[in-house]
Amino acid sequence: MAITKSDIEHLCGLSKLNLDDDEIPIYLQQMTDILEMIEQLQSADTDEIIPMAHPLDMHQRLREDKVIDTNDRDIYQKNSLSAEEGFYKVPKVIE
Amino acid sequence: MERFTVKAIQNMLSDKQINAAELFDLYSSRITDYDQSFNAFITSDVEPNVEYITDDKNQESLSDAALTGIPYAAKDIFCTQGIRTTCGSKMLENFIPPYDATVIKNLKQQGAVLLGKTNMDEFAMGSSNETSYFGSVHNPWDRERTPGGSSGGSAAAVAAGLAPIALGTDTGGSIRQPAAFTGITGLKPTYGRCSRYGMVAFASSLDQAGILALSAEDTAIFLESMAGFDPLDSTSVEESVPQYSQYLEENIKGKIIGLPKEFFDGSLASPYEALVAESIDSYKKLGIVFKEISLPNIGYSVPTYYVVAPAECSSNLARYDGVRFGYHSKNIEDLDEFYRTNRQIGFGEEVKRRIITGTYVLSAGYYDAYYLKAQKVRQLINQDFERAFESVDIILGPTTQTSAFKLGEKVDDPVSMYMNDIYTISSNLAGLPAISHPIGFVQGLPYGLQLIAPHFKEHDLLNLTHQYQKVTDWHQMMPKLSMSSESNN
Repeated sequence: MAITKSDIEHLCGLSKLNLDDDEIPIYLQQMTDILEMIEQLQSADTDEIIPMAHPLDMHQRLREDKVIDTNDRDIYQKNSLSAEEGFYKVPKVIE
Repeated sequence: MERFTVKAIQNMLSDKQINAAELFDLYSSRITDYDQSFNAFITSDVEPNVEYITDDKNQESLSDAALTGIPYAAKDIFCTQGIRTTCGSKMLENFIPPYDATVIKNLKQQGAVLLGKTNMDEFAMGSSNETSYFGSVHNPWDRERTPGGSSGGSAAAVAAGLAPIALGTDTGGSIRQPAAFTGITGLKPTYGRCSRYGMVAFASSLDQAGILALSAEDTAIFLESMAGFDPLDSTSVEESVPQYSQYLEENIKGKIIGLPKEFFDGSLASPYEALVAESIDSYKKLGIVFKEISLPNIGYSVPTYYVVAPAECSSNLARYDGVRFGYHSKNIEDLDEFYRTNRQIGFGEEVKRRIITGTYVLSAGYYDAYYLKAQKVRQLINQDFERAFESVDIILGPTTQTSAFKLGEKVDDPVSMYMNDIYTISSNLAGLPAISHPIGFVQGLPYGLQLIAPHFKEHDLLNLTHQYQKVTDWHQMMPKLSMSSESNN
């Protein structure tokens, strides 16, 4: 499964990342090397094996549906350069 | 200059040879005088974050707390309320967390005092501390070499005596490998042992907070206070925390250590092989019995990790949009372009590389072949360990293939850098606790040995390491330092 320039561009779209035109060939080569290394997995015999998502085979713990958080919006928004009157201001979304 | 262990400091404080405020000043001055040579700290001009330290009366009332007055450093991945937390990234260059990570809170409650935030590979992605936006860290044993990564700053700080002990995180070896490269002791606990709340996420099924220290004894002292169930972390395990320091003197005679034949396949260069053989002899003299075992799927560790970890990282790092926090470009009128530019500028190359890899292996058409396949191979590796632990108590192997490599040597070859993790990664995949401790030097550079235990058997790792450290002195050797003003930059 050779990776191409248009694959990289597609991935940049999915992950919301820009790469400069002169960076793309470098990333393409490095991704090719990484994917070649990862290809080794195909030789493992995994018939009948259940995928392991969690190291301790735990399941999602639930809690009582009670409000425990306080509303600290102003404190949380201190790290934002986009916050205005409690909202987050971003470039226009709807035409 | 002398390095003080946490144990020694506790004695000095209780004998009143020094008080907590003087101790804090001593280490703060060392950081000022020496850290320019190592760049181990990103933030170090902190006020003591425990009120008692400036108040003798308060110091008395906290004297029952386990870690009263003990200074420590924390990898800059742990949220510390009011103190900048950058993850070694431009993306979080000015981020000031509004809360403490649970492990930081636990240590504060026991009276430990934060000295500063240590340098790290960006978002914990790296094995050399060369991907940090704040510059590389230099190994105190040889400044032209890496201290390892991603907890390179914590390792260098402890090795150089700039902090008696430090927190790190380990996702694929990021505590153990730097510990091995800098001649100190590094522990990755069982997955779920320490809370991940407030610890910036890289790969959520692999990340674990841990300790870099001068000895197993110090590690035990700190782990007692750090570990424990946290309802705020959904992967935290409700397992009681043993008094680890009480297990250090348990009898180890007759314990069985497994030697995986895949770790001893002749690929280690002879100086390193010789050190491992000597350490095995030391353990034999302590009464340990050795047995050959096999972990047949361990060779798949690196490819498995480099599917799982980037996949999880691509998901975890999606939150960095520059809106609620993080690097924020100005004068961009399109929302998509705004996100894309923030992330292009805010993230470094290795992070971008892993996000792209992760997105690829999770994307439609590739998910089954890569991500699902890797999760199945992960199960195979886990099963190998389960089978092995039916007949042995502990597994032993090298921590790394070599001692510290030179800065710049591997930056242009990601796959070669990834192979550094070959011995450490499998314990992250299986969630097992593992420790690295120093076993000697090759051409003046430290080298480490790794022990891996079944889940929640950290006390066995600390017990064995402590007994080894009672009959050897590798862990007490300290690099020569020169003041920043004297060193060649």
